[in-house]
Amino acid sequence: MGARLLEITDLLWPVDAGGAVVPVAKADVLSRLRASGQDRAARIVSAFPDADGFLDRSYIDALGLRVHRELQRLGEELQFGRRVGALLRPVTETMRGRGAGPLRVVDVGCGLGFVVRAMAASSALGADVELVGVDLNPVLIAEARRLAELEGLACRFIQGDAFRPGLAVQDGACSVVISSGLMHHLPESGLADFFAAQSRLGVAGFAHWDIAPCLWSTLGAWVFHHARMREPVSRHDGVLSARRAYTAAVLQAAARTGAPGYDVQVQEGSRWHPRALDVLRPLVGIRT
Amino acid sequence: MTAADAATLLILAILDGAFAGFRSSAGRTGLINHRRSDHQAARRGAVLAFAVLAPVIAATSADVLIHPVHLGDYTRAGTAMLAVYGPYALLVLIALACYAIAGWRLKYLAAALILGPFTLLRPGIAILGAALAMTLANNLVVAIMAGLSAVAVLAVEPLAGRLWYARNQPGPAG
Repeated sequence: MGARLLEITDLLWPVDAGGAVVPVAKADVLSRLRASGQDRAARIVSAFPDADGFLDRSYIDALGLRVHRELQRLGEELQFGRRVGALLRPVTETMRGRGAGPLRVVDVGCGLGFVVRAMAASSALGADVELVGVDLNPVLIAEARRLAELEGLACRFIQGDAFRPGLAVQDGACSVVISSGLMHHLPESGLADFFAAQSRLGVAGFAHWDIAPCLWSTLGAWVFHHARMREPVSRHDGVLSARRAYTAAVLQAAARTGAPGYDVQVQEGSRWHPRALDVLRPLVGIRT
Repeated sequence: MTAADAATLLILAILDGAFAGFRSSAGRTGLINHRRSDHQAARRGAVLAFAVLAPVIAATSADVLIHPVHLGDYTRAGTAMLAVYGPYALLVLIALACYAIAGWRLKYLAAALILGPFTLLRPGIAILGAALAMTLANNLVVAIMAGLSAVAVLAVEPLAGRLWYARNQPGPAG
């Protein structure tokens, strides 16, 4: 894997320790993108409005919502809610059978909470499983709450660090942590810590979906983001996500280092002729 | 152009308009249940497709009435367009049927292998069909009509987006 290229959306919503979005200097974003050789990304950002050198927050927040709504549409088309539900159902059934309860599924970096809201809407895991979405971005969490309320969905959303003890996971033994498209946003050096945080919470299991990096997933990301996405930011970041994604070997090594008490598996086929279904695959860890 | 060819092309164009209308509305609200708005968007797209094609249909009909000898040229053009659009439409409709009735794995495959890539190919297919029709028609007026019909079909999605959706997205909450 070469140098880590930057996704534009990773640069637009930095959050301080108190959970507030920090103003972003446009020149800083442009210089970071240009320094990593991403001239196209810099051109996209240079079109964003700014005031006194700082990116216009209301414009950026509205853009963020548009990008995440488009992303949700892609997730719907690629059956992401059902896919997550199908994998989690036997896990929660096993936990239920052991008498664990009340069960909770926590979606880390949930964005607009599509997966959580989709599972709530379809009652994918049963009414006794509490569905919680967590994200650092207050704008996305506010929108996730608004949408869930609008549709009367039994799920809730919390802004903050999902791994802060007590915030989203109170009883680790009854909790499963999931994410979708999150892991490639982390630096490789931070992957082991990501899994270690879940291990410290003592969660029963985790399942983190991300793109399997290969020529086909990059091509597929390019095709889908150009066919389906309207925002240049979505198109840029969507393709880059596939290029930035980690191999199964890297993820497994990090998970085994960070969470040694878990049986970790990644279902991934050949990089040259992968099964289409495995292009978007989970890393699954079950507490042993 | 035979009546059957003309009717088939019109049906395909209106179906395409319905899908274009759906695409222009998709991913705008973030709601989980958007079936009603999907149907509304598809209806809007179908009506819009008919509206943008109406001048071409009217001009084509007038041309055939005034110059009956052009009918053979229109027939060649229509057949050429159907030869390109027919197989494309058939594959998309099969994939859509799969998407509508199958389980999530097949839905995923239908979207990943056909529906997404074919949406990307769609402008090229529209232009290819029109270009073939223009070449085989060997008649400037017929060629213009073929070109205009492709332009009209390709205009539906961006037009629908501008008319109904681009300015109506909810902003940040709170």
